[in-house]
Amino acid sequence: MATDPMQQFEIKEKGDLFEIAGQTISFSNSALWMIVSGILIVGFFALTLRGKLIPGRLQSMGELSYQFIADMIRDTTGPEAMKFLPFVFTLFFFILAANLIGMNPYAFTTTSHLAVTVTLAVMTIGVVIVAGIWKNGLSWFKIFAPSGLPAIMYIIIVPIEVISFIARPITLAVRLFANMVAGHVMLKLFAIFAAFLVAKGGAFVGAAILPIFGIMGIAALEFLVAALQAFVFAILTCIYLNDVYHVHH
Amino acid sequence: MTNRETPDPRPKSEDLIALRARLDAAQTKHEEPTAKGRQNDGRILGQAWRMSTELVVSVMVGLGLGYGFDHLVGTTPWGLLVGLGLGFTAGIKTVLISADKMAQQNAGVPIGDDMPDDIEDE
Repeated sequence: MATDPMQQFEIKEKGDLFEIAGQTISFSNSALWMIVSGILIVGFFALTLRGKLIPGRLQSMGELSYQFIADMIRDTTGPEAMKFLPFVFTLFFFILAANLIGMNPYAFTTTSHLAVTVTLAVMTIGVVIVAGIWKNGLSWFKIFAPSGLPAIMYIIIVPIEVISFIARPITLAVRLFANMVAGHVMLKLFAIFAAFLVAKGGAFVGAAILPIFGIMGIAALEFLVAALQAFVFAILTCIYLNDVYHVHH
Repeated sequence: MTNRETPDPRPKSEDLIALRARLDAAQTKHEEPTAKGRQNDGRILGQAWRMSTELVVSVMVGLGLGYGFDHLVGTTPWGLLVGLGLGFTAGIKTVLISADKMAQQNAGVPIGDDMPDDIEDE
């Protein structure tokens, strides 16, 4: 019996792939479950890809998912940002699939590692920076210095704006990681408690029903959190994409 | 009339019309509030997470930048203190902006500079 609630987040190397600058790159259980979520997403959309004029149930699931992300981008950023639909769409469904797969017993939650969430967040903010400079040239940096202020104010305002910009990828990464870790640790702790009670025997076996009810409640909450965190990540990506198109704010 | 699959658009009697109205009323009463309430719960949870992390992380980024500045220039502890203040300001600013946006979405009424003229005049 596993008595360490953090053991579930352990990275296990399945085999070495190749070496880069003395660092061995290995295939881990995290990479395995990322591939599984990728296959599940592609499989889901391959199944729902029907192209009928009047969509059936499966096809409308696919179309609703598209509609959901498209509406999100149109409402938060504007129609000019629809170019980023593939990016936001992939981000949302990868995080959603990874979170939901992590809810299964024996599966590994890839989004419970900072390395994964930081990569996603840095990629997002990288897209904002590159697209912003691509579109606006160097005048993109005006987002750090809102116009129409007395010159002396810029000494305070510019560092504040820079700090809140740097905070963005960190909030994205930390929020997703912390939510997933906290939920899974909580589930594990309750489960360990229940197992201990059963192992004690006697009257304790009956008391094990209480943590089991707790597990049921937390599991339901975790499914909500899994979907919610994917949604929050996607909608914040849309909000940050605003900086590509609306430099003068 | 023999086809049961397609509903008859013309109800036969007053009773049926009244029944339809009562059914509709019961259905809307039953379905809408729960669906909407649940959706709002999720959204509020998301907003709470958003604002708390924004505030905490901004303070930490400010602290980190200040500490790094101190390390490079050797002005300990002033960079750290100024960084803490700037980080806190940045956090409050971000949270206020997000709160503004959320209130806009929830009420459907713009807040701040974009106030409609008829409200602004009062």
